[in-house]
Amino acid sequence: MEQPVQTETWKARSLEELVRILHRIFAEDKVCVEEVQALMESYESNPEEWLQYAKFDQYRYTRNLVDNGNGKFNLMILCWGEGHGSSIHDHTDSHCFMKILQGNLKETLFEWPEKKGNGEMTKKSERVLRENQCAYINDSIGLHRVENISHTESAVSLHLYSPPFDSCNTFDQRTGHKHKVKMTFYSQFGERTLC
Amino acid sequence: LPSGLSQWFPALEVLDVSGTGLAELGAELLALPRLHTLLAKNNRLGGPGSLPKGLGQAPLGRSLRVLNLSGNRFAEVPPALLGLRGLQSLSLGGNRLHGIPPDIQELRSLEFLYLGGNFITSIPPELANLPSLSYLVLCDNKIQSIPPQLAQLHSLRSLSLHNNLLTYLPREILNLVHLEELSLRGNPLVVRFVRDLTYNPPSLQELAGRTIKTRNVPYAPSDLPENLVRYLSLASNCPNPKCGGVYFDSCVRQIKFVDFCGKYRLPLMHYLCSPECSSPCSSASQSSTSQSESDSEDEASVAARRMQKVLLG
Repeated sequence: MEQPVQTETWKARSLEELVRILHRIFAEDKVCVEEVQALMESYESNPEEWLQYAKFDQYRYTRNLVDNGNGKFNLMILCWGEGHGSSIHDHTDSHCFMKILQGNLKETLFEWPEKKGNGEMTKKSERVLRENQCAYINDSIGLHRVENISHTESAVSLHLYSPPFDSCNTFDQRTGHKHKVKMTFYSQFGERTLC
Repeated sequence: LPSGLSQWFPALEVLDVSGTGLAELGAELLALPRLHTLLAKNNRLGGPGSLPKGLGQAPLGRSLRVLNLSGNRFAEVPPALLGLRGLQSLSLGGNRLHGIPPDIQELRSLEFLYLGGNFITSIPPELANLPSLSYLVLCDNKIQSIPPQLAQLHSLRSLSLHNNLLTYLPREILNLVHLEELSLRGNPLVVRFVRDLTYNPPSLQELAGRTIKTRNVPYAPSDLPENLVRYLSLASNCPNPKCGGVYFDSCVRQIKFVDFCGKYRLPLMHYLCSPECSSPCSSASQSSTSQSESDSEDEASVAARRMQKVLLG
């Protein structure tokens, strides 16, 4: 993703249309981050369209694959029960778009730890993302933790990663030590994955 | 709740009155024999009489499986709900609870307990008497310590403790064999070795008890008063592998660090029988900072196998 060749203003009127437009955008050699972010934001969340992918787990948040973008991107829906959160993680040199479909998610940004660092990681900023907002992050921006801080409402988010990746690093906030983890899907295309 | 509820809908199984501003749930509930799920979050419940009396005796007492009272104004766990023997899932998240009643143990069928986002300062050991508890959420409270009895929650799979006031954990937490998720971030966990500061020397009774146990002095129940026979049976083994001693009430509390997969260092509270037992490796390096490096390797590897997802970072 480099200089925009031609920035379009898209309006996705349904989840299906969003996926179709994404396929079109990613078929090109050059893709513009702002264009994708605006497209994701333009889609007004309609639970009827994504409920089939929104499979919750009692114990932790789930990743549910919606579309694998012909290998160019992964589009997935994450379901967060009350109090569910992620560890601090990176994005394996990929672009990450995160749109809220329901509820709210708190995103805390962190600086990359020093190579020799053995101290508490530095918080850069935090914000609460509202329904239909779309955030963007990549490794050059930093690391983040995403969590549903509500004790009464669950949250659902739509994530786009390009290129797709299935492993990343998680970080210990107190020491900055990192650890590689493999990511799995709770369901794919609406079907529960058992493995 | 409308007064004709149980006559109009006698077969009602799920009732959701969330976000309706209700200040009390009345006796109409008691006449619903098939109700298994009651969702009443984000209301104005919390005052006396929020829940009808006789909840436990009504058919509801046996049929209700799921109760969600999150986002209300409860300052204490309403005693009326402790009679719900069939309850599997209880949420009181985002209320104003300052504690958990020991009688929580009456909810024998409880598997899921959500108490996040309250003002809870301590956990009663009776919570450990819930045999089926698999998901316990205590995040966003003011908890300063975890009772070691919680290690008896053999079914516990997920324990959420983030954003509290914990400085260490009881060593017994390693006994939770099925624990897969543990969140501890946002606690002021001690990061450096802490030498115990208080040690009450053992009483004569304790010294005598220790001698009997470590020297294997034979005794029969007829030799001693019943209370002393009981006392002798309560001896705890000193975890120091080089010691082999026992202690009763007088012990040294020490914080040791246990590594998980070489990534996270958890401060765990150990009970040792005397200051001389401070560390299995005390004969090695003596400096107080490097002491934390010489942790028990065995403990770490066992813990690492059991805890697959320690969400510390």
